[in-house]
Amino acid sequence: MANSDPANRDDVAMKAAETLYPAAIPALSPDKASAPGDRVFSGGNVKAIIRRYGLLALFLGFWELSGQAHWVDQTIVPSLSTSIKAIVEMWRNIHLGLHIMISLTRVVLGLLIGLTVAVPLAFLLGRLLPKVAVRVNALLQVFGLINPYCLFPVFVVFFGLGEAPKIAVLAWVSLWPIFFNGQSAFRSVDPQLLKTARSLNCGSLTAFWRVCLPAAIPAIFNGIRVGVEMSFFILIAAEMTGATAGLGWIIHNSGASYQTDRIYGAGICVVVLGVLINRFLVVIRRGLLSWSEALAPTWLQFSDTAPKPVKKSVAYAWCLIFILIMALGLIQIFRAENLLIDSTLTPEYRIWYK
Amino acid sequence: MKFVNKYISLAIFLALWEGLSRFRILDPLFFPPFSAVIESIVHMFKIGTLWPHIELSLFRALLGFFLATVIGAPLGLILGGRFKSQNDVVELPLEILSQINPFLLFHLIILFMGLGESPKVAIVAWTCLWPTLFSAFNGAANVNSSLIKSGRAFGLSTSQLIRKIIWPAAAPTVFTGLRLSLGYSLFMLIAAEMMGASGGLGFLVLRSQEAFQLDRMYAAVVVIAFLGLILDGLLYWLGRKLIFLSLESQVNPSGG
Repeated sequence: MANSDPANRDDVAMKAAETLYPAAIPALSPDKASAPGDRVFSGGNVKAIIRRYGLLALFLGFWELSGQAHWVDQTIVPSLSTSIKAIVEMWRNIHLGLHIMISLTRVVLGLLIGLTVAVPLAFLLGRLLPKVAVRVNALLQVFGLINPYCLFPVFVVFFGLGEAPKIAVLAWVSLWPIFFNGQSAFRSVDPQLLKTARSLNCGSLTAFWRVCLPAAIPAIFNGIRVGVEMSFFILIAAEMTGATAGLGWIIHNSGASYQTDRIYGAGICVVVLGVLINRFLVVIRRGLLSWSEALAPTWLQFSDTAPKPVKKSVAYAWCLIFILIMALGLIQIFRAENLLIDSTLTPEYRIWYK
Repeated sequence: MKFVNKYISLAIFLALWEGLSRFRILDPLFFPPFSAVIESIVHMFKIGTLWPHIELSLFRALLGFFLATVIGAPLGLILGGRFKSQNDVVELPLEILSQINPFLLFHLIILFMGLGESPKVAIVAWTCLWPTLFSAFNGAANVNSSLIKSGRAFGLSTSQLIRKIIWPAAAPTVFTGLRLSLGYSLFMLIAAEMMGASGGLGFLVLRSQEAFQLDRMYAAVVVIAFLGLILDGLLYWLGRKLIFLSLESQVNPSGG
């Protein structure tokens, strides 16, 4: 640091800047400006762990204490331990694990369908047929603004009852953010890169695979992030109104029968699931795209100025684990369909269902 | 000509809808022709049932959006600008909070806030808060440090620095977040109104579904999409006017 002569006007100004925007002036305050991410992830650093998890622990402690000390009505805000007990109870009695898997499967299937439609469409309109894109974009924008939740009856007409219309709704939700992000990314691929590729005797397929797709993937990831977020929102709402399984159904059912501990339990599950998926996406993104710039603003995560890269092998390992979980879950769901209906429906409803 | 090019696909789509339904290739019971949808919009306007729903939905969505902006944008700017080096303290709690789906708390919000307007406004505000907050944070945190340094070198005071450098540099990002959250606001509001309300466009959709008046349902959906377009256009225009910067011209329909 420079000398602290108060008469020095520049120094005073610098000081002010430093206190106002410490991290923006790395040269001035090397100690403060070291990227916070570095401190956070250097394992074993007790202080960093306390800083990171302290507020959360404090909140959870306060929640538990407020229940134990009866500061709030236990029937409205059951304590943390009661909620966790409710999770265990639900796991044992109404197959909570299966409900989680069902919700997760719906989101993932919707996302996969959305991806398989959106990415080729984005490439087609953004890269190959720009003139067509000018003409159809207005229509597509209107489609993007249509709330699929309203059109549920129409989806039922097209896809019948059961899982298909729900998955179609989720696919619709995740389709548009991915498409629009992808389209603008495909459109703005650096032409210099494409020319270079061509001069290196790349075929158009290789150019797509090696140049266009990598250039668009960060934007596509941002689209996926928004799509997953909205899928989760709409999934819970859809399951609340028209489903007989899934986390949204549990919450709605518990709410209707005033079992607040179950609401909180299932709520914790949804939040944990959301955070895990968020983390999963961040790890994948940083593993596969460590070269790309800082995270986009729509990414619900504070962007580090220099994202900490994740090893590719780690990212692949997480992908594999995820696929494994999904596969196991799917097998379980198919095996347990009848079991689930029996355990979750009241007797008279069960007769109707069959 | 440019205008024609831009909207030709929309016109073709609507004509196709009309034709397929008129010639009974699509069942008009489920897909009433577009003219019938427009007719029912006009009819509902005439008998005065549509406008109160629009008014109510707009009020809820805009109030929620406004609350989220008033809370989220300054908070994000302060966290990103002033306390950037401390962000590891709040990062995890905020990430978890942002994952709390407002519908999880629908029953509880009703318990706390009672029936009426406040639960719906709270749901919208909660949903809109996060994109606004995170984008404001990123906007303030990623201001080019050499800009700040050169501002300092020219002897700008702190308030001048904020007005002349930090805000213009952060504003595009903030506005991107605002547009995203405006999209979210209508999206969530419709779902919330379908869950439990006695007015608003979502309620209109639900009631038309239940009464199997699909022309009214399509009418409500068309009105919602139209409102979404207008609101986004307004915000985009406002952003251009306010910060004199070319924002990304592409509408970013988050689906909302």
